Amino acid sequence: MRLMRRFLRDIGSKYTPSEVININNKRFTYTAKPPLELPEQVYTGTYLGQNRQRFEPSSILLQMLAQEPETHKVYVDRDTSWLFVVGKDIFDENILDRSDGVRLGGYCLVMFGEHCIGYGRYETSLDLRVVKNLFDLGDFLRREQA
Amino acid sequence: MSGREWFIERYMALGSMLSGDEKTPKAIRINPLKTTSTELIDILSWQGVKLEKIPFLDYGYKVIESPFSLGASIEYLLGLYSLQETASQYPTQALAPSPTDRVLDMASAPGGKTTQAAAYMQNKGVLVAIDINRDRLYATENNVERCGVTNTSIHHLDALSIPDKPAFSKILLDAPCSGNYTTDSHWFKKRIEEDIERNAELQKRLLVKAINLLESGGTLVYSTCSLEPEENELNIQWLLENHKVELEQLDGPGSPALTTIFDATLDDQISYCRRFWPDQTGTQGFFVAKVVKQ
Repeated sequence: MRLMRRFLRDIGSKYTPSEVININNKRFTYTAKPPLELPEQVYTGTYLGQNRQRFEPSSILLQMLAQEPETHKVYVDRDTSWLFVVGKDIFDENILDRSDGVRLGGYCLVMFGEHCIGYGRYETSLDLRVVKNLFDLGDFLRREQA
Repeated sequence: MSGREWFIERYMALGSMLSGDEKTPKAIRINPLKTTSTELIDILSWQGVKLEKIPFLDYGYKVIESPFSLGASIEYLLGLYSLQETASQYPTQALAPSPTDRVLDMASAPGGKTTQAAAYMQNKGVLVAIDINRDRLYATENNVERCGVTNTSIHHLDALSIPDKPAFSKILLDAPCSGNYTTDSHWFKKRIEEDIERNAELQKRLLVKAINLLESGGTLVYSTCSLEPEENELNIQWLLENHKVELEQLDGPGSPALTTIFDATLDDQISYCRRFWPDQTGTQGFFVAKVVKQ
């Protein structure tokens, strides 16, 4: 819970899952109880993310956080979105809009319209301000290839 | 026995005019958990994608033209749609799971029908998805996450090992089968008659398990992407003869299933099932039966 809580705080979220279940180091909230007891569960209900070196949020959690007005967000266009989902960082000049709370060194959701396509850290790199890509939805394709 | 000629002659003996060269066009299924047909079609059309509504499917569209891979777009990654072959969208639609159902998907990987069922259930009720193959089950997990599904419990499990208990109101058994040549160019080289017999035996065991897990009055949809009658009509005939079940009439695509197989005459009810001959439906080969437990 510690890594997830830290992530939620850093992104500006007030979300607190009522019950968290750990399956193979993945975190879920329990919203799907099978009508009979079954072994070898690998996934259940709402998938929140998993702990690796840091907490990696699921796309489901990211979409939930995108609905919260308080979370830190930057907005980008389709071309920049595509570059982001193939793993690139976002240059400051390509940010169309940003919410309150986006600050240097802090985390922010990357938004394409109303959809969240990942998140990153707003930082300075080689004298340029960028949103450093920490997770993007292209991960689905990378998982398929793996 | 095996080989292209043997299979084509076999299909001819069943009344088909298959050439063995039929292919199935790409299709997508819109995810109503995340978008609407109107919204998604507008977005994709703006990017040069030409789609055509598949008349017998609720959310299915044939891909006429696309300037990019539809399996790698932002909208795909957002879970607004899935790639799913036309015929394979029909079984879940025929099952019509509702938000109050307890649904079992008995062979769920890679998860296309699982996410489709969750969409019909509006992410409510309970959907249990199992599969015996752990590697393929990762795809189910990814698809469930990508499509925003939250009512599903996924288990790495052999369906045959589940204790008999009538716990489910609806079951989807898209059974492991011999497949068909329209989606696999090497299919004719790979398949032999013994595969069909072996698959048919496994399918019978899975059918019995499904019936034992289904509550009285509950519905089972059984489907395969095989054209072989042993895996389809003959299995359902066997089920009718050995278990207290009835068949429900299916309308829509394909043709009524066969009631005369080579020299055998089957129960008239078998014609309630649907058989997809690729040359007639423009899809892959498929068979769908809707079974109600008494």
